[in-house]
Amino acid sequence: MIRWTRLLLRLLLAGVFVYAAWTKLRQPWLVFALSIDAYQLLPEWAVLTTARVLPWLELAIGVFLLTGLWLRYISILAAVILAIFFITMLLSFGKGMGIDCGCFGVGEPLSAKTLARDGLLLASALTLAVVARLH
Amino acid sequence: MTRRIAISLLAGVLVSPAQFSTGKTRGIPVAAITIEIFSDFQCPACKALHEQILKPLVADYVDKGRVYLVNRDFPLPMHAYARQAACLADAAARIGKYEQVADALFANQESWAKDGKVEETVAKALGPADAKKVLALAKAPDIVAEVESDTQKGRDAHLQQTPTLIVTHKSKSYPVSGIVSYPILRRFLDQLLAQ
Repeated sequence: MIRWTRLLLRLLLAGVFVYAAWTKLRQPWLVFALSIDAYQLLPEWAVLTTARVLPWLELAIGVFLLTGLWLRYISILAAVILAIFFITMLLSFGKGMGIDCGCFGVGEPLSAKTLARDGLLLASALTLAVVARLH
Repeated sequence: MTRRIAISLLAGVLVSPAQFSTGKTRGIPVAAITIEIFSDFQCPACKALHEQILKPLVADYVDKGRVYLVNRDFPLPMHAYARQAACLADAAARIGKYEQVADALFANQESWAKDGKVEETVAKALGPADAKKVLALAKAPDIVAEVESDTQKGRDAHLQQTPTLIVTHKSKSYPVSGIVSYPILRRFLDQLLAQ
């Protein structure tokens, strides 16, 4: 049971991370920078750095989850990143900001739906981090 | 392509900024980039975009013939006076006073959004004769249809929020929502122009 749960969560999260990376990498990186900037949380240099680095980090996490290598550490990293996304989105949604989620490319507004989805993904990553430690 | 660049450059040199503005559009239609701004006069983020981004964008790109700017109405249902404001601004566009009225509507947004005195705000921004024309025009069916047509264009582009900028370059469109900082927008436009 644990083995199947681990496999299922690993593949689910791998798919989500690879897809998220692909949607960002297929468009000019400054489009993603504008999405990050709309949250109005980071200074310009941090927005630009995040826009450059994050899609590649997401891709790397997705590939590692797919292969199952270093699962204990990668699942924690995935949970930390998803927790950062969730908190950021929650704060912005709470402020009533009408902005793009930026989760999977452009054109998806930040909403209760995107929050629920990110919350579910965070719960999945946390569960994976726990079951990755069990035999 | 070379011809298009030449036309843009020539237009930028030969046409004065005042001639660039035609109703709800500004710049030359053959510019390399088109930016459609879907906006709601009652939305605070649209006010911020109008007051912080538009002026430098117009000075650096639109009036230099590099960007063609199109203002589109996207009044959100939750804003009671947004549609009326859009009709008044579109009516002002018919007499060449769109920018004047848009500036006044955004500058006094907090006030008319509370008391509903949209017509009074517009009238103050115009002379008595122009105000009379605009207030009458705003109720005309073709103005109402124009606002609806813009809104429908937004719906067709799956817009759900304002402000949204749709940046189009070489047939590719990039929607950008929310308030963005001008330095990053400028980098993005420069990147597109360099392609």
